[in-house]
Amino acid sequence: MLVLVLGDLHIPHRCSSLPAKFKKLLVPGRIHHILATGNICTKESYDYLKSLANDVHIVRGDFDENLSYPEQKVVTVGQFRIGLCHGHQVVPRGDPEALALIQRQLDVDILITGHTYKFEAYEHGNKFYINPGSATGAFNPLDTNVVPSFVLMDIQSTTVVTYVYQLIGDEVKVERIEYKKI
Amino acid sequence: MYPWNSSTYSGQVPTGGLTRTMPNGLDDQEKLLAEAVGAARKQAFQMNHFLDKERMLDALKCASTMLSELRTSMLSPKSYYELYMSVTNELCHLELYLSEKSNKETDLYELVQYSHTIVPRLYLLITVGIVYIKNDSTLKRSILKDLVEMCRGVQHPLRGLFLRNYLLQCTRNILPDVLVAENEHEGNVYDAIDFVLTNFAEMNKLWVRMQHQGHSSEKTRREKEREELKILVGTNLVRLSQLESATLETYRRLILPGILEQVVSCRDAIAQEYLMECIIQVFPDEFHLQTLDPFLKSCAQLETGVNVKNIIISLIERLAAYNQRSGKTSGNAIDAIIPAEVELFEVFSVQVANIVQTRTDMPLEDTISLQVALLSLAQKVYADRVDYVDKVLGTTAQILDRMNMNNISHLLSVNQELSRLLRICIDFYNNALTIIQLNNFCPLLEKFDYTSRKSLALYLVMNILENETLVPTADQADSILTIITPLIKDDETSTTAANNSADAEEFAEEQGVVARFIHLLKSDEPDMQYKMLQIARKHLGNGGGQRLKHVLPPLVFAAYQLAFKYKAIAEQDENWDKKCQKIVQYCHSTISALAKADLPDLALRLYLQGALVIGEIRYTNHETVAYEFMTQAFSLYEDEISDSKAQLAAITLIMSTFEQMSCFGEENAEPLRTNCALAASKLLKKPDQCRGVVACAALFWSGKQNGEEMRDEKRTLDCLKKGARIASQCLDTGVQVQLYVELLNHYLFYFERGNSLITVAMLNQLIAKVNEELPNLEPSEETKQIESHYKNTLAHLRSRMESNDTALEVSFAGITLN
Repeated sequence: MLVLVLGDLHIPHRCSSLPAKFKKLLVPGRIHHILATGNICTKESYDYLKSLANDVHIVRGDFDENLSYPEQKVVTVGQFRIGLCHGHQVVPRGDPEALALIQRQLDVDILITGHTYKFEAYEHGNKFYINPGSATGAFNPLDTNVVPSFVLMDIQSTTVVTYVYQLIGDEVKVERIEYKKI
Repeated sequence: MYPWNSSTYSGQVPTGGLTRTMPNGLDDQEKLLAEAVGAARKQAFQMNHFLDKERMLDALKCASTMLSELRTSMLSPKSYYELYMSVTNELCHLELYLSEKSNKETDLYELVQYSHTIVPRLYLLITVGIVYIKNDSTLKRSILKDLVEMCRGVQHPLRGLFLRNYLLQCTRNILPDVLVAENEHEGNVYDAIDFVLTNFAEMNKLWVRMQHQGHSSEKTRREKEREELKILVGTNLVRLSQLESATLETYRRLILPGILEQVVSCRDAIAQEYLMECIIQVFPDEFHLQTLDPFLKSCAQLETGVNVKNIIISLIERLAAYNQRSGKTSGNAIDAIIPAEVELFEVFSVQVANIVQTRTDMPLEDTISLQVALLSLAQKVYADRVDYVDKVLGTTAQILDRMNMNNISHLLSVNQELSRLLRICIDFYNNALTIIQLNNFCPLLEKFDYTSRKSLALYLVMNILENETLVPTADQADSILTIITPLIKDDETSTTAANNSADAEEFAEEQGVVARFIHLLKSDEPDMQYKMLQIARKHLGNGGGQRLKHVLPPLVFAAYQLAFKYKAIAEQDENWDKKCQKIVQYCHSTISALAKADLPDLALRLYLQGALVIGEIRYTNHETVAYEFMTQAFSLYEDEISDSKAQLAAITLIMSTFEQMSCFGEENAEPLRTNCALAASKLLKKPDQCRGVVACAALFWSGKQNGEEMRDEKRTLDCLKKGARIASQCLDTGVQVQLYVELLNHYLFYFERGNSLITVAMLNQLIAKVNEELPNLEPSEETKQIESHYKNTLAHLRSRMESNDTALEVSFAGITLN
């Protein structure tokens, strides 16, 4: 089961489009679910995600206007409960312990958040945390070197293999991280 | 007496009675054709029989009878063609026999002329004539001349056309094709040209005459029949093109003028359209290139019904394709392509103008189509000549000027052609920077109505986005923004602004496209970048709130990025500080424009981002300005945001932004902190209050004081305690327990971080409260969620208590879980 995880697009506020190299990689029909961490911003971006996979879950980012997106969401994929939250509500920003508060509240195996514009994937207290970064490498006042990135999760029964795609310079680099549910 | 004059001659001539003038239907045609073919076969059989027996005169008699079938007026062109094919097929046998057996003693050429009807007589004459020529080439010149003249004897269009076609077919391989003959009686290529041109002229006349025969009510049927026969006339041109000795010079001096004279003078639209097209297709491109003037001049003289546009477009396309083809195969771009002395574009340009002027009846769409064709010629042949393209656009604008065409409605069909003209330009260059070099692009664009200007503007912007065309200078930015004005502003001429809510989605999409475009205004020179932002701001500022919402935020973010750029080059640019101040001013005024446009939520978020940026850049005076940005956010929060959900979101955002900032000295930080705490405690709903106040704790803990984390244990705990007090006031026990569980987590968070004022007793107190209340909750989905939240919290606690990690600074000893 392939799950695309991405967010903080900020089109058209901060960027004109997804990097062309990412668009080439994201082809319709391969991805089963999309989990978006927010700041999708426009209907066009949403429609674009819809064209990649029918099952799209979005939570609200600080620059999302669409009031119908929830602040948090739990999605079950295979044997995993996956929590989704943009993360601008979390103080301090991106703090693992502060995120753990949300993990416990949502009672999830995997917590996905955004807002830091920096890819991260780690285990903490036997749970898995993913931040797909910003798919467009959107401008961020606190980090002037944002690397565009998104994540693809391959979920097979109790294992998640996470592939992170990062656009470094003009090349897409892929890394693989595995997480097993205990 | 010759055989076919004898009494045995059975007249097969159709009697032409009134009842038989018109075939009635398909069945009739089939029947008539079958009869005629049958009769012809019978005679052919006889003829072959006599030929075997070497009874020449009898054979000729049968041939004549067979040929008489071609005298019919009953058959449609299609059926007549079939009959013609089967009869001429049989004539081949005769020709073969004659060329083998002919003896000089019988003067066949004379003999066959005694056939008493003209159609068989001429077919036989041609057959015999060819045999003569083959036997003695010195007769060629005179016999060819004789035959082509003699054929004038048949003036019935259908019969005449086929007879002459037979002549053309038979002479196919024997036309003289040399410049100078060894024996002048053999003739040279000029005789051949003369021969075919004469035949062509005669055939064309016959073909044209068909149009004027019969009742006017049958015009459509006649035109259909003529359509079926056109290829017979066209074959003459094919034959001319096959003359190898005919040089370009000959073509220019004799062939083309000969054809054109006939074409123009026949004054028949169908013939003219077909034959002009024929000329284009059958003669080589090299010839066309050298004879554009006469050809195009003739185009101007054609009848009103002729679609001159198609003819010219066809020629242009052919030459453009030729250019590309030969350019490719030669591999050398300069070699084989259209010779430089042929000023293709100029010639077409002048002649097309001439045609437009003389053919006043031509619909405007067609005139524009011609311009489209000219444009595509310019682009295909002279890809680098932007001035040619511009000239076409200029000419088009002039044409519209002359006709006083303005505000051309998108509903007019001419609008489509005109739009095509502009779209082709956009598509061809795929570079908006080239488009703005076209001086006539804008003037032409001005001729359209608002709707079509807008859709063209959108087309251009989409093109820019697709090709990621970066716009590097302020002037270029200005030009492009001017072109896309219809997207930026409402129609000034129309008072009834198009505010259909049905189009809201489309409108948002369009504005999104403009917003995306703004990021492509990109110069490596920071000063130039700033100029561009100013220009864009000027253009985009007048679109009204609905547009500002989309197009101003990208400007603000671009400006923030630029400020970072100046900071990065601070060592090279001593004025970076002042420039940053200017940029921040620019952002401030842009954001306040959004605030004024009744967009407080958006403005608040942009102020907060600005505060972060300013805090990071740290130019002179940055603290005051960052403080100003924060207070702007606060006043928007207080004055403009009333929805309780939006309030909670906004204050959370203000707090989380502030928590990250380290640029404030205590005198600025303190009022901001207090204000946050105050605002949080004044939220409308108790749960919101509770969460807000608890979030505030972070300001006193990880919030910055003189660049360091504050770690104010007391005030952090005060926030948590206040949260607990508010939670205790909640009447809904479900919500209350939920808040207690959340509070427990926050207490734990600071406990683990080392806030020494938080005691195990406080934690136990919260645990006890939850333990007491949780079992009393009604079973529901919410209760289940609270239970698992609590369970997870306890599991976390347990893992901490059981941990052997001595590095854990805090002792969890004494916590009672049950």
